[in-house]
Amino acid sequence: MKDRYIFFYITVLTAVVALLLSAAALVLQPYQEANVNNEKMMNILQAADVNVEGANVQELFNKDCVKMMLVNSKGEVVEETTENYTSSAAFKMNLKDELYKRDNGQDFVLPIIVINNGKENVNVLPLQGAGLWGPIWGYIGMTSDFQNVVGVVFDHKSETPGLGAEITTEKFRSQFQGKTIFSDGKFVSIDVVKGGVANLAADLQKHSVDAISGGTITSQGVNNMIENVLGSYLPYIEKQ
Amino acid sequence: MSKNLELLTAPLRKANPVTVLILGICSALAVTAKLKPALVMALSVTVVIALSNLVISLLRKGIPSKIRIIVQLIVIATLVILVDQFLKAFVYDVSKQLSVFVGLIITNCIVMGRLEAFAMGNGPWESLLDGIGNGLGYGIILVIVAFFRELFGSGTLLGFQIIPEGLYNFGYMNNGLMILPPMALIIVGVIIWLQKPEEDKK
Amino acid sequence: MESLSIFIRSIFIDNMIFAYFLGMCSYLAVSKNVKTSFGLGVAVVFVLAITVPINYLLDKFVLSAGALSWISPKFADVNLDFLTFILFIAIIASVVQILEMVIEKFSPALYSSLGIFLPLIAVNCAIMGGCLFMQERDFSSVGQSLSYGLGSGLGWLLAIVGIAAIREKIRYSHVPKSLKGTGIAFIVTGLMGIAFMSFLGITFK
Repeated sequence: MKDRYIFFYITVLTAVVALLLSAAALVLQPYQEANVNNEKMMNILQAADVNVEGANVQELFNKDCVKMMLVNSKGEVVEETTENYTSSAAFKMNLKDELYKRDNGQDFVLPIIVINNGKENVNVLPLQGAGLWGPIWGYIGMTSDFQNVVGVVFDHKSETPGLGAEITTEKFRSQFQGKTIFSDGKFVSIDVVKGGVANLAADLQKHSVDAISGGTITSQGVNNMIENVLGSYLPYIEKQ
Repeated sequence: MSKNLELLTAPLRKANPVTVLILGICSALAVTAKLKPALVMALSVTVVIALSNLVISLLRKGIPSKIRIIVQLIVIATLVILVDQFLKAFVYDVSKQLSVFVGLIITNCIVMGRLEAFAMGNGPWESLLDGIGNGLGYGIILVIVAFFRELFGSGTLLGFQIIPEGLYNFGYMNNGLMILPPMALIIVGVIIWLQKPEEDKK
Repeated sequence: MESLSIFIRSIFIDNMIFAYFLGMCSYLAVSKNVKTSFGLGVAVVFVLAITVPINYLLDKFVLSAGALSWISPKFADVNLDFLTFILFIAIIASVVQILEMVIEKFSPALYSSLGIFLPLIAVNCAIMGGCLFMQERDFSSVGQSLSYGLGSGLGWLLAIVGIAAIREKIRYSHVPKSLKGTGIAFIVTGLMGIAFMSFLGITFK
């Protein structure tokens, strides 16, 4: 008798809990997805140096986005989208999976999102790497000839607040604007250096930014992330 | 009435769950580097304790004693998932900062402790008040720790610059150590130190 | 190689106690002498090394978005993410329960030294935290999650034995009266944490 009661009790409880949670998940899921998409769109726009202050991100994105592309390891465009951006493969892509495929010698595709910021067309590329405690990621906007950086956005899962986490601040990000990733036609990426960019030789200054003091490993992570990801786009960039 | 008031206020100081009973330190200190996530965390924990206290107190006569721990865990986990879902849907940027620590409310010993020690033996109204009181008692410690860590570590409060720019020109520097995890423990240690003599007097 | 790096990192750098304050409740309550601390520490290592891989499989094949597609492609859109917390805690509670029964049956000697700690562990934040961090880090194989679980457990063991040894000695020193007991334990843990931060420089390439 007692055992039957326990069994009955736990069954009812489980059913109630399952019902409650599923209902909550169903009701709230659209809001959560909208949040994630909105943030992604906002980051892409910011990387293209579009002012998103107070604007409706979704409308702005649909207006400014020119096209989205997927390019493969040989630098060929394999897919191009000009509408329904948020449901396109290029927007939904998990960069981490593709980099994993690349490192294991498999075929992979990478997204390029072209945004018109009112002055020029900007190629926005996603970034993915590792910081001190966990993953870091972001977007980098390049001019249409891939020579100069228009803007960057970084985010992180769990870097130390006030130290590594400072990579998200305007102060760190604005340094990247106008830097170049090529030197005499050779790919050099952007170096995140300690000890002050101002003390470097003039031609080095063009592709270096100051690291965050106290956030050495995270800064190094940003450095490696940019080099690692942009390197995979080189076949496409060289064709331009 | 004054007894109910006592339920609310006692956990703030003389029966503070963190500094006196040494419960629930686990999940919390990692979110105290900045004031804003600490406030949200304090609020989330208060909601979870208060509601789970209420639910368990309502159910207390029916719960088979053999499985009461499991029942308590299920109730807590459900409430925490609901809080997490709400945070993700409506205050997305804060939920990102709290990340896994919302989930850790489930294993926060204060919640389990209050259910066992209070809600199983008291009425719903008292349990609700007791839950709110303990949540606030926990929250107040979080906020104190976060206040000092953000003020001295970053020179800001809730993201606004507090330490005037002029002071930096005189050579004042943010104390990087305050932001690192170990300082949270040391600050709690100091709070206990300051609080203890007062209790001994009583 | 990757697994080894995760293992070392989780012991020294991402230490459960010093970097994340997880499992503090039992850490402060039990760390009064080395022997019992060691017992609790071993129990934590056990439970973490078992539950983290189990929850890893659960996450990969049941919970995360599209994880159910191995049953049928129809389920590719199902996302059971919201059940994570409740299923993780259920797995932890049951593993602890089963482990307790198994140990009691096969090794009464071990049971008498570990047994009393096992029920405590179900609500130890270090276990739940380990599982949630495992999910967040997105490991690529069961082996990696196992080395993470094992490493985090050992890190916790190291921390609790360390503080217990210090607390045994500190009883003979002149600590200010109102700082005695938990107050000084907090501060010592903080100082140990600062010492552990020097391991941050370790990198594997």
